[in-house]
Amino acid sequence: MLQLILGQLLNGIIVGSLYGIIALGVTLTFGLTGIVNFALGAFMMLGAYGTWYLYDVAHLPYPLAVVGAVLGVSAVGYVSDMLLFRFTRGNLVNGLLVSIGLISVFEALVLSAFTTTPKDLTYVLPGAFQVAGMFLPKIKLVVCAVFLVIIFGTYLALTRTWLGRAAFAYAQNPEAATLMGIRTERLQTIVVVYSTALAGLGGGLYASMYSIEPTIGTAYILKAVEAAILAGVGSVIGALGGGIILGVSENIGSVFFPSAFRDAYGLVFLIGILLVRPSGLFGDRL
Amino acid sequence: MKIWKKACAIAVVAGAAAFAGQAASAQETVKIGQIEALTGATATYGWMSAQGTKVAVEEINAKGGFKVGDKTYKLQLLQVDTRGEPREATVQFRKMMEENVHFVFGPFLTNVFNAIEPIANQNNGKFLLFAGATSAHHALGKPDHDYLMRAWNWDAGPSGFGKLMVDYLKKLNTKKVAMLFQNDAFGKTAVDIYAALFKDAGIELQVELFEPGTKDFSASLAKLASGKPDFLFPGYSDAVLYDIVRQSTESGFGNRFFLVRGSIGPALKNKDSIVDYIAYVPKYFEDAEKKEPKTKAFVESYKAIMKRDFPYDQAPLCSSACYDHVYMLVEAMQKAGTVSDVAKIRATLMDMTYDGMWKIKYDKTGETVFGFDVVHVRKGGAIEVVQFDPTK
Repeated sequence: MLQLILGQLLNGIIVGSLYGIIALGVTLTFGLTGIVNFALGAFMMLGAYGTWYLYDVAHLPYPLAVVGAVLGVSAVGYVSDMLLFRFTRGNLVNGLLVSIGLISVFEALVLSAFTTTPKDLTYVLPGAFQVAGMFLPKIKLVVCAVFLVIIFGTYLALTRTWLGRAAFAYAQNPEAATLMGIRTERLQTIVVVYSTALAGLGGGLYASMYSIEPTIGTAYILKAVEAAILAGVGSVIGALGGGIILGVSENIGSVFFPSAFRDAYGLVFLIGILLVRPSGLFGDRL
Repeated sequence: MKIWKKACAIAVVAGAAAFAGQAASAQETVKIGQIEALTGATATYGWMSAQGTKVAVEEINAKGGFKVGDKTYKLQLLQVDTRGEPREATVQFRKMMEENVHFVFGPFLTNVFNAIEPIANQNNGKFLLFAGATSAHHALGKPDHDYLMRAWNWDAGPSGFGKLMVDYLKKLNTKKVAMLFQNDAFGKTAVDIYAALFKDAGIELQVELFEPGTKDFSASLAKLASGKPDFLFPGYSDAVLYDIVRQSTESGFGNRFFLVRGSIGPALKNKDSIVDYIAYVPKYFEDAEKKEPKTKAFVESYKAIMKRDFPYDQAPLCSSACYDHVYMLVEAMQKAGTVSDVAKIRATLMDMTYDGMWKIKYDKTGETVFGFDVVHVRKGGAIEVVQFDPTK
């Protein structure tokens, strides 16, 4: 039993880091533009399909395929921002409507191009490490490590660079930041594009672990929003923490209770946290 | 005056011709509706079966249509997307009934069938519904359900593929099976069907349901593995099978699989990690296209019409329940001598055996019976195909 729980604890951390990387995009976009970009799940799906295409169809090496997919998704993110999101800044409802509309568009395009038949990437790193009787799939460990590096890297960039500090200044007081000479439009565009790039990276790495289909993004954006709320919207490290808490509670919950209600275990945890700390676990902190 | 008379004559002739043309085209077209999830998380079955119908319709129309009596008819295909959502399905289906569509293919999804069933009952006698949904089985033969034909093999019963599959498993000295299915209307129905079949066969059953949309099955698999089953019975489409087979073999949870829906694609991908992978496949196309001219022609036609590679792993979904059934329906209309008397066409369908890619007939309740293959993939990718033909 102990082995079963330990195994699921580790798996929860790995799965949670994926929620965390999308949650980071959610929290950054909300902080800087005032909208919850639900289309980040669809950007993640685009990243997954882009990676699959470049790796399995165009036969590029996997790391190059991921980089290509991330660049492609970032470009789509930039165009979406210029044509759509730019006009919804600070308007939660309009932003929400645009992002939901984009989900339908992206899903329909991928569906007509690649059908609903799931795509399963040629295994990048097959096999598992056996530790104390537990099997830890190699690819999951590598993906988790990459996510941790990206999240901590983002944290350092936000706290140690001029652009990062400018972003924080804008999130705290937009008028004052503008008066101090921060080019807010450009800053917002950078954050939107960076968030879509994170989602694209999440999708690219997701495709190495799980099969992909046009609707994969929907479940993950909901988990990411949950993770962001659980952590407290605005907290970078909190996004990772929220994702991991969610992943662990789902996995451990499924061991003791029916897996059929797996999503509910994370939600119960979320409600419990919000009752005690309405601004989330790490709310108002970096 | 002369010019005016000439203009009138032309107008009258043109009007009469247009009217005659309109009347002729209205008579010469038979509408076939299809109500399936073409997009969304549960679209695999609907998307593929919609393609099977399209290929059949385009083939028939390209040949100039079909003759019933001394008239030639073409088919008009009306496909609607339910997205797997019952509410959307009821709106689309009601519209189809208002447009007097006499023949409707689908739905494959149990939740969608349950939603449209009351509307279908209200229109009993006006149309025929060729449904693939598992829940349609229980509605066959009920009052107000003369419209219903089930276009898919049933799992249970003496000629059911599920019963024959469980018998196959029993021969491998199986003592315990773990079922891992999605927590939805079909998953629960499947558990009910197979719990009884395994009980009759003296095989112990362990059940775990998972949340729709799940991609990481580690927790469920770990839980099931602790019960030490001989076979894992996962369901029910490739959207989850690839993940389940990979995660189960990679993490040491199990390497013997038994399934009644889905393809052998996951087995071939993990051929060095599995030990046994036993699957119900309406037809093993990779083999059949080399031996059967009709199957070969279908594969070529699919590629030409759909302009894409042939999806071998999903092919049975688009062909058996729809492609052959469109041809069977056309043959029934020709034999019955009508395209609109649905009672007469139904009676003809119930009496006939269609000889297409499959030999297809209906049992006395209106459920399709056709042959199928059991594909047994072993470690390393060796494939053994056992054919069953309950129509004999």
